[in-house]
Amino acid sequence: MSAAQTATEPVHAEAPAAAPVPPRFAAARRFARAFRGRPAGVAGLSILLLFTLLALLAPAFIGPDQLDVTKVNGPLLAAPSGSYPLGTDQAGRSVLLLLIWGSRESLEIGVLATVLTVVFGSAIGIVAGHFGGFVGRALMHVTDWFIALPSLPLAISLAAVLGQGSASITIAIAVTSWTATARLVRAQTLAVEARPFVERARALGAGNWQIMLRQVLPNVMPLILVSSTLTVAGSLLSEATLTFLGLGSPTDVTWGEMIHDAFFGGAFTADAWWYLLPPGLAILAVVLGFTLTGRAVEHVLDPRMENK
Amino acid sequence: MVVRESRRIRAMLAAACVSGLLVAGPAALATATAARADSSTGATSGTTLRVAMDSSGVDTLNPFTAYFNGALDLFGSIYPSLTSIDENGVPGPYLADSWTLSPDHLTWTFKIHSGLKWSDGQPLTAADAAWTLNLIMTNTVAGTANGTLVSNFASVTAPDATTLVIKTKQPQANVTYVSIPVSGIPIVPQHIWQSHVADLKDYKNDTFPVVGYGPWTLTDYQTDQYAKLDANKSFLLGAPKYDHLIEQLYKESDAAVAALKAGQLDYINGVNATQFSSLQHTGGITTAQAAGDGWTGLELNPGARTRSGKPIGTGNPALSDPVLRRAIAQAIDKKTLVAKVIDGQGQVAAGYLPPAWPQWNWTPQAGEEQSFDPAAANKMLDAAGYKTGADGIRVDPKTGKPLNLRLGIHSDSSNDSAISTYLVGWLKAIGVGVTIQPMSMTALNSDLGKGDWDMLMDSWTTGPDPTYLLGIQSCSTLPGDDGNGGNTDAFFCDPNYDKLFAQQATIFDPAQRAQVVGQMQDILYKADVDQLFYYATNKVAASTKVTGLVTGKPDNGFYPAQTSFWSYLKAAPVAQSASASSGSSTGTFVGLAGAVVVVGAGAVVVRRRRGADDRE
Repeated sequence: MSAAQTATEPVHAEAPAAAPVPPRFAAARRFARAFRGRPAGVAGLSILLLFTLLALLAPAFIGPDQLDVTKVNGPLLAAPSGSYPLGTDQAGRSVLLLLIWGSRESLEIGVLATVLTVVFGSAIGIVAGHFGGFVGRALMHVTDWFIALPSLPLAISLAAVLGQGSASITIAIAVTSWTATARLVRAQTLAVEARPFVERARALGAGNWQIMLRQVLPNVMPLILVSSTLTVAGSLLSEATLTFLGLGSPTDVTWGEMIHDAFFGGAFTADAWWYLLPPGLAILAVVLGFTLTGRAVEHVLDPRMENK
Repeated sequence: MVVRESRRIRAMLAAACVSGLLVAGPAALATATAARADSSTGATSGTTLRVAMDSSGVDTLNPFTAYFNGALDLFGSIYPSLTSIDENGVPGPYLADSWTLSPDHLTWTFKIHSGLKWSDGQPLTAADAAWTLNLIMTNTVAGTANGTLVSNFASVTAPDATTLVIKTKQPQANVTYVSIPVSGIPIVPQHIWQSHVADLKDYKNDTFPVVGYGPWTLTDYQTDQYAKLDANKSFLLGAPKYDHLIEQLYKESDAAVAALKAGQLDYINGVNATQFSSLQHTGGITTAQAAGDGWTGLELNPGARTRSGKPIGTGNPALSDPVLRRAIAQAIDKKTLVAKVIDGQGQVAAGYLPPAWPQWNWTPQAGEEQSFDPAAANKMLDAAGYKTGADGIRVDPKTGKPLNLRLGIHSDSSNDSAISTYLVGWLKAIGVGVTIQPMSMTALNSDLGKGDWDMLMDSWTTGPDPTYLLGIQSCSTLPGDDGNGGNTDAFFCDPNYDKLFAQQATIFDPAQRAQVVGQMQDILYKADVDQLFYYATNKVAASTKVTGLVTGKPDNGFYPAQTSFWSYLKAAPVAQSASASSGSSTGTFVGLAGAVVVVGAGAVVVRRRRGADDRE
């Protein structure tokens, strides 16, 4: 049981390190110390914290009037200047404010899609790994079938069927990306279930649910965590791709939508680099942040990778 | 682990593609396509005019079944028509030198120019025209594209080689508009086509050179790539000044603009507002704005119903109230849309027929203009009993439901999405909630036909004869009770309008007809079902190495509507000696630089593969 307990702790990686450390926080402290030893991971986490902070604080300094095309009065597609540090878009809105506001919805879609992906993928993976036999095979066949489907066309057709907008994009991303998590979790579930403590639990009379939720889930959790940080990165890119292809809603402000508006509004020809580059770079930075953090967590949690 | 690894690679690939697209997209496309055309023209001598094909491309080279604008432009260049449209939008001579109308207004007699020959040397006579028109009248497949234009024709005969007689069932004022270049019926050679009547539906008409008559002869065509044409130096209306014409297809307008800037292209008809503003300040390029031949606006569902009056669809019943429709009209600031969405390159719209055809021009009488006045709109809605709810959204007094309207927009139109964001803001100011629904053209038209809509973005263009555009507002275009048939624009139906519509078709004096058409536009304007925002100008960009591409004299800074027929015919190289070769060396240089940039994105592979196709 204790092994299971400690493995879940990375969730609380930022728990305060009080003086007399209770045993349950010891692992967290160990984890935090190891994580601090990886500068790339710290850098990634800082990027993420910065963007999260900006996204959360945005409503404090951006009013609805500054993003409403009928109320703004800036110059159209103007180069960066004192009052507009990143220039303006075709409607005269500040690109800097759009960029900050866009982080809200972009991150929201990315994180929500990831949560859906991880919950669904893990559930399928654990059930398939635990039951094996007919159920397991059937579930894995469904998974294989989804892996074989080309994800971009599937996402596009889903968004077309569900109607356009952020909700359908979130669902489309989740539907197309849960398979990797499911495969991964199933493999880990098989490995965990082969360990003696699961057999002990079963001998003590634990039922299927008991084993899946109490024994297996805590032990595959680190893997799910690492996989999900990388999934967020993929989701953000998918969101940008789908909205760039015109599947978003024009009133939403997301980074993908900004690139879409800039590209199809002729910002290229107008040499309006200030409209095209910032959302692209923001996507790059956040995806990089998630990837670096994910890699660092992966290294810390997996002892076999420690020495590499 | 393997699974995760592969996904990461996919993510990185996606990132590389997106960033590659951002950095090198248009330049790379321009390089790839232009390079192909350059290499294939190497063998020919003489001057070449290189123009961008309409981005719709060519659906088929068979003029009986083709719809796409790219195809229609080609037919205007390679097949003759009875009349042409002059710079004032009025019919002028082409195959027909002159024409007369019988006193009962039912018989038209066209005098066909004698001594003309098809490009294969066979004589071109009135019999060819009669055969073509008869085929369209009698053969369903032949009538696919242009059948409606001749539906009122009773008979078409050619008593001799230079006379063509058209009899109509009812008097019809627009017979001289039926066969015009580009938007009318192209006349085809009978001796070529009569053996293809049986398989007309599948006949591709791709034996080169295509036998025809016109300013140009089609010598080569590659699907979704280019069309190559040679000049007809003995053309009836004046020989083209260039020896060759290449129409190059660019699916992405930024790619065409990049090619124009790089000197690989001479002419683009139809750049967008941002591109136009940028090209205005680019050396070596001239720009012009032609009066718009269409409008962009919003249609409101006034209560969709069938021809027999049965209500259909899920349209919000509140919109059947003229007060609400007028309030919406007054809540929208058309001037801002012109200034911000199309960068000032257009005119605020009022009349249903666009300014490209000044003979149908109509403006509302003084005092009847619907100006931007949200305060008045709010007052009007208050007086009509639309009370404002707690969330700022008004409540429909008839149903007790909040006024939330759907707004369908074309998901592939950047103007639609830009306009929709403004509409949301303005309608909120008068207490009307708006939900935007971006849809594909097909989905939107399907919803429209079924009446499953509240508000839709709408735009139309028209040729010089307004019959079709006026027709889609008449009651007869409503769908039947089974929901099928009918090409109504917005379920508008007004008996007075229909009476005038029938009347204008039989008035042969242009001024009188324009007056009746004006009354029809007045009815449409006051109904607020089609709320027109603006007439965007048609924006043209051309290389300064070419002159004559822009035809006509500007009025208020706007040129008359440009048709490819006259533009390509009148285009001339500025300095004969230095025209063709100098551009291509810079083009190659830019092309090389572009190709180097693209290597990372993997576009080189695509390019090589395409090159191999070309060599085969």
